Amino acid sequence: MPGKTRHSPLKNADRDYLALGLEGSANKFGAGIMKHSKDGSTTVLSNIRHTYITPPGEGFQPRDTALHHREWALKVIDECLVKSGVSMHEIDCICFTKGPGMGAPLQSVALIARTLSLLFNRPLVGVNHCVGHIEMGREITGAQNPVVLYVSGGNTQVIAYSRQCYRIFGETLDIAVGNCLDRFARIIDLSNDPSPGYNIEQEAKKGKRLVSLPYATKGMDISLSGILSAVEAHTLDKKFRSKGASDNSLEEDIITPQDLCFSLQETVFAMLVEITERAMAHIGSKEVLMVGGVGSNERLQQMMAIMAQERQGQVFAMDERFCIDNGIMIAQAGLLSYRMGYETPLAKTTCTQRFRTDEVHVAWRA
Amino acid sequence: MSDDWHSVTLKIPFASEKHALIAKQTIQVDPELQPHAVKRTIEVRGNFLVATFSTLTVRLARLASNSFLENVDLVVRTLEQFSEEAEKPPSS
Repeated sequence: MPGKTRHSPLKNADRDYLALGLEGSANKFGAGIMKHSKDGSTTVLSNIRHTYITPPGEGFQPRDTALHHREWALKVIDECLVKSGVSMHEIDCICFTKGPGMGAPLQSVALIARTLSLLFNRPLVGVNHCVGHIEMGREITGAQNPVVLYVSGGNTQVIAYSRQCYRIFGETLDIAVGNCLDRFARIIDLSNDPSPGYNIEQEAKKGKRLVSLPYATKGMDISLSGILSAVEAHTLDKKFRSKGASDNSLEEDIITPQDLCFSLQETVFAMLVEITERAMAHIGSKEVLMVGGVGSNERLQQMMAIMAQERQGQVFAMDERFCIDNGIMIAQAGLLSYRMGYETPLAKTTCTQRFRTDEVHVAWRA
Repeated sequence: MSDDWHSVTLKIPFASEKHALIAKQTIQVDPELQPHAVKRTIEVRGNFLVATFSTLTVRLARLASNSFLENVDLVVRTLEQFSEEAEKPPSS
């Protein structure tokens, strides 16, 4: 990686620091407690999450999601504290997702964070959800200076770090890749348990036929809404069999939902690999870090690894504990901010649905 | 502000003035979604949290009061779960 090594502005911890992180920007509510020790090590003390799963064919609406968080948050936070063995009095700062995400769910979590802050007299730290994913990825995988592919239900961005800012190199021009996959899962009535993306991945493994879908990279960016329309159009094709292949193997020229899952994944993942490769070529990086819920898809990891190996590089990925929205990533990014002297005054702890990754001043990195 | 606006006053008792103040400070951070049509005041009188909504339409009066009460409920449940721990002196 070109460039001289700079000293990290983040000084060594003079004592142990503990942060509580609360996340609720989409349909998962997560609470996590992170410890930054005096010896420089970091430890995940606990990471508890509860997901709002809707019936097949339905997505999650803001109001119901907010109700879910209001119902589950206190139980999850309690379990998180018990599991960590730490009491609220020992926590140094209360970190919460300021944005981006869905308004009502974000606000529900912020209310709890503020109440805890006032009860225990601890500062609040508002965290950018995307930066949370990136910082947790860096922490867990140890990647030094990777191109970050952040892919989830709400976001699809290719990010690289430069001069205290996570710069967006490429992104979706319309919907996120996870959103595209989730909406297709609804079209074919797949279960949302544990998540629609996971079920699409399993169905795709049984696909036998690659159906032609538009391939829509636009320079460094991608467009996904057209592909969603196209794959939906295939379900209206007379060759489509919604129940999958029947035992009657006379029917060979058919399209099954498994074929469409497979085709959709192959197409959109190839597009993601392409724009990631463009960013890698642009900055001369040999590392890819995959974060966000869709980053736990093993087929995407495999395709990314093939590209990275061709460039003598490597892929860093995590399992669903840290890929899918969680509280510990908010604690991690929040604690890094806090140790650099950043706090969010109470009056500024509103949430915002639009919060760009590059709006954050990454003070803790050189 | 017109005299023909609707108004709703909600008075909620808390266990202490401290808790009522926590509720006020927590809830008042988020502005009303339609500040031109909904005027809100939140204050603490003794142990009570007192909120007044002055709204242009009946529908807005319902929405503003409903959302406020939902927020109060969440704060109350959070206080219920954590206030005992908060009162305990931190063990070192």
